[in-house]
Amino acid sequence: MTTEELEQLLAQQPVALLHRLARGRVHRQFRAGKRRLIELLLQHSGHNRAGLESDLQTLIGERHAPSESGSPHIHRPPAIAHKKASPHRAEPESTETAVSLSAWLEGIGVPAPQPFIPDPWQTEALSAVSETDVVISVPTGSGKTYVAVEAARRAMEDNRTVIYTSPLKALSNTKYTEFSKTFGPDKVGILTGDRQENGQAPLLIMTTEILRNLLYDAASGEIDIRLDTLGLVILDESQYIADPERGVVWEETIIFCPSQAKLLLLSASIGNPQDIADWLTSIRSTACRLVRHSKRTVPLRAGYLHPNGKLTPLFRTVGIPYGHPNQLHPEAKRLFLEYEDETLPSGRQRR
Amino acid sequence: MPPSIHPVDLIAALRQRHLTPAIVFLTSRRACDEAMEAFDHADLVLPPVRQEAIGTALERVIAQYPSITEHPLIPIVQRIGVAAHHAGHLPSWKIAIEELMRQGHLDAVFATTTLAAGVDFPARTVVITQSSIRKSRDFTDLTIGEVQQVAGRAGRRGKDHVGFAVITPSPYIDLAVLTKGLTGQPEAIDSQFTISYPMVLNLLKAHPHEQIQGILAKSFAQFQLNQRAELLEHKLDALHVQMEPFGPRVCTDWITQWQTFDHARRHRHTRHQTHRSESPEISARLPFLSPGRVVGLSRGRGIVLRQYRSKGQKTSMLTILRPDGAVTECPVTSVKEVYDRTCDFVETPTYPWCSTDTFDRLSHQLEELPSRLPVLPILTSTSHEPLPDAIVQSMGDFPCPTCPSRPACQKDFITASRLRQEQQRHAKSIQALRASLWHRFQERVNVLQKFGYLTLATQLTIEGEWARLIRIDHSLLITELIRAEAFTGGDLSLLAGILASLAHDDDRPGAFPRISAGLSSLLGQVRKLAESLSPYEDPPLLRADVAALVERWVADPTLTWIGLCRLTTMAEGDIYRLLARTLEFLSQVQALKSMHPSLAESASRAITLIRRGVLEELP
Repeated sequence: MTTEELEQLLAQQPVALLHRLARGRVHRQFRAGKRRLIELLLQHSGHNRAGLESDLQTLIGERHAPSESGSPHIHRPPAIAHKKASPHRAEPESTETAVSLSAWLEGIGVPAPQPFIPDPWQTEALSAVSETDVVISVPTGSGKTYVAVEAARRAMEDNRTVIYTSPLKALSNTKYTEFSKTFGPDKVGILTGDRQENGQAPLLIMTTEILRNLLYDAASGEIDIRLDTLGLVILDESQYIADPERGVVWEETIIFCPSQAKLLLLSASIGNPQDIADWLTSIRSTACRLVRHSKRTVPLRAGYLHPNGKLTPLFRTVGIPYGHPNQLHPEAKRLFLEYEDETLPSGRQRR
Repeated sequence: MPPSIHPVDLIAALRQRHLTPAIVFLTSRRACDEAMEAFDHADLVLPPVRQEAIGTALERVIAQYPSITEHPLIPIVQRIGVAAHHAGHLPSWKIAIEELMRQGHLDAVFATTTLAAGVDFPARTVVITQSSIRKSRDFTDLTIGEVQQVAGRAGRRGKDHVGFAVITPSPYIDLAVLTKGLTGQPEAIDSQFTISYPMVLNLLKAHPHEQIQGILAKSFAQFQLNQRAELLEHKLDALHVQMEPFGPRVCTDWITQWQTFDHARRHRHTRHQTHRSESPEISARLPFLSPGRVVGLSRGRGIVLRQYRSKGQKTSMLTILRPDGAVTECPVTSVKEVYDRTCDFVETPTYPWCSTDTFDRLSHQLEELPSRLPVLPILTSTSHEPLPDAIVQSMGDFPCPTCPSRPACQKDFITASRLRQEQQRHAKSIQALRASLWHRFQERVNVLQKFGYLTLATQLTIEGEWARLIRIDHSLLITELIRAEAFTGGDLSLLAGILASLAHDDDRPGAFPRISAGLSSLLGQVRKLAESLSPYEDPPLLRADVAALVERWVADPTLTWIGLCRLTTMAEGDIYRLLARTLEFLSQVQALKSMHPSLAESASRAITLIRRGVLEELP
């Protein structure tokens, strides 16, 4: 093998293999990049060319042999490379051709304005909330706000007070501006830790902590927040109930919420919304209604953008293959492997 | 190849494919700021029409929030249509960017994943660059819920046919986490119910002690504990079924009966068991080398005082009384002859293993022994045989050896006792699950009684009546400080400074050059008190630099916002949040009007002093 041939062969190998080859040959090999590593290896081979070549052949052989053969390596190949080597049988789609970039990008753009028609789940939630507590668990951006606004409007038409809480002051402020536009500034008030405006309005926006404090004060008979006219409590982002520090506030609020007020819990997709609904049913006077769906209103597609600017779909399918995380687009897989080979030092293992 | 895509290339690529507007989620604030710097000389300028539109929109927002008039990012926003949006910025800046984004003026916003939940604006595309986020110093993988929360920002209802989540790698990214996150079902959530001191006080204010257990039972925490308890109960039921064949036999509680018998038998067995390394001759001798036996050694005779096993080697050893009154220890192997002669004595548990009188008598007897003694003939059994039934039967008061159900008991014991242990464990866990919240509540009650906020009859004391209004973190420390009259000097800036150091729980480094003597001595006191309270409440960070910063802001009304920001290395947004949190704490102190009127007055004056400049402009 001439030096050029060897150099070419080395250049074809992934950097992880080169690192293994360089072990014991090159000082502090884990610090060197691919090109530098090849240089150093070739320098080294001056003394013991044959040894280097034979080691290289063994390593290449090992790499191509399926790892199940039990070859004793310390380094297992990167997880994805492994999958590539042994085609997985679990996926029937793997024989289909993967989607092309143009097909993936198709349909991009702005839809023509359409009259707003509420989704069936929104209608369902709205009709339920007039009678009982409702838990809504839908993906981000599905239109939970529409339900909140409509439910608040209906309650206010019935001369009922509405409280809307959000976990963050910033979100409360945004909602205050938004609702003031929708209902008129005199109908909306805000109470946060350091801001109190229009506290007598029929629709009050506050952080959940403030509502919890109000409920405590009301329980000890100190203040009157018109609890008897309170018709609806909307808890936005109620997946916060699982927040390690603040989650307890949501529980306290729900426990002490007066029974004549209906609860409307808006939550992003969570794994166990049924539990939340069952819990509400067990502690409140009426059976809680759960409204859930996992389909996004605007479909989502996933892509992979390589640092060199090349864009490919991430999955074989146009949309996201729910439940099949391994159906990667071959091009995305190849590019990512390349990326890992370039950036991961050989000593570091993918988990 | 660079470790991750250059921001300018990223925007160019997104624009080329019509994937804008986009939100680019980056690991850190610094990454966002560096991305902005990268656009300084970029030639990605927008057409003049759009630049103008952004300018007009910006002017409108600036009119509302003058604090961002001179924001350093404005030129980039206007020229290129990209912006950074993270917690280091003032809320007014974030509101401005959100507004511009909503109106569709911007092509991209660079934000941190940490705040994905707080970002309330959608885009056509979301760019994800990492698979883990920093959670209190450590990086943890994004959960499925978090990935979906981030990706969920893509695709605006009514403005997009489809949304795009684009992954672009950066070092340490784990693609599997992201693909799993995109395609998976979000995780189930768990209750994080904790019982705080103000919660106990407020509950006891409104409800009698005996009702509290019922109230705690209404929590989601208890609901989930009950779910787990029910699971265990199902297991318990299954165990009951499995236990049926092992019901009462000759004795009702045969499992315990067999267990004690078995234990005794095994114990006995080990005591009789000879060590493997001992030859049959030696083991055959052992039963005869009882205390009082006269033996012949290589040099002279002796009387055995006790037999034992050496600690390490477990070889059989003897303690022997020698003719000259010496007591020696020697292995059984050194015994040459075992004579057919014993001396009577009562063994005692300590050296010299018999009473002093006996000892003298034995020495005397040893001297008096005739020169020839009959040797005991000891038969050596060739193999170790199991203990004859006779020995087992002789054991204590156990009816088992003769019991008719003995074979059945012996056969079933292992299964039955394992099942019963499992039963007991489950029963215990169920009890713990059902009562844990109540126990935690009681623990808090005990502490509050100890500090005098509750009477022994769990009524609120005068102290408890006002302390329940402090419903923030570190409430015990704050109420104790108030009781210790730490703030009586009426110095507003000190009060604000201390509350700031209690309120600020961020460990991002900050620096402040000078800390006044008064503040540092007061902080020292607070730290001492916090340490003494640490068994009952986690101590706060008590950072001196944030205390000094807020103290200065309150003490010097001429200090401008810019001036304040120059005093520290903290980011503008962090200073803002610090002051806002301090305001929240002060407003809780302000609520103590009836019991601590002067303190409440100080708090309300401090609030007025803090709320100026940027803090006044913002909601």
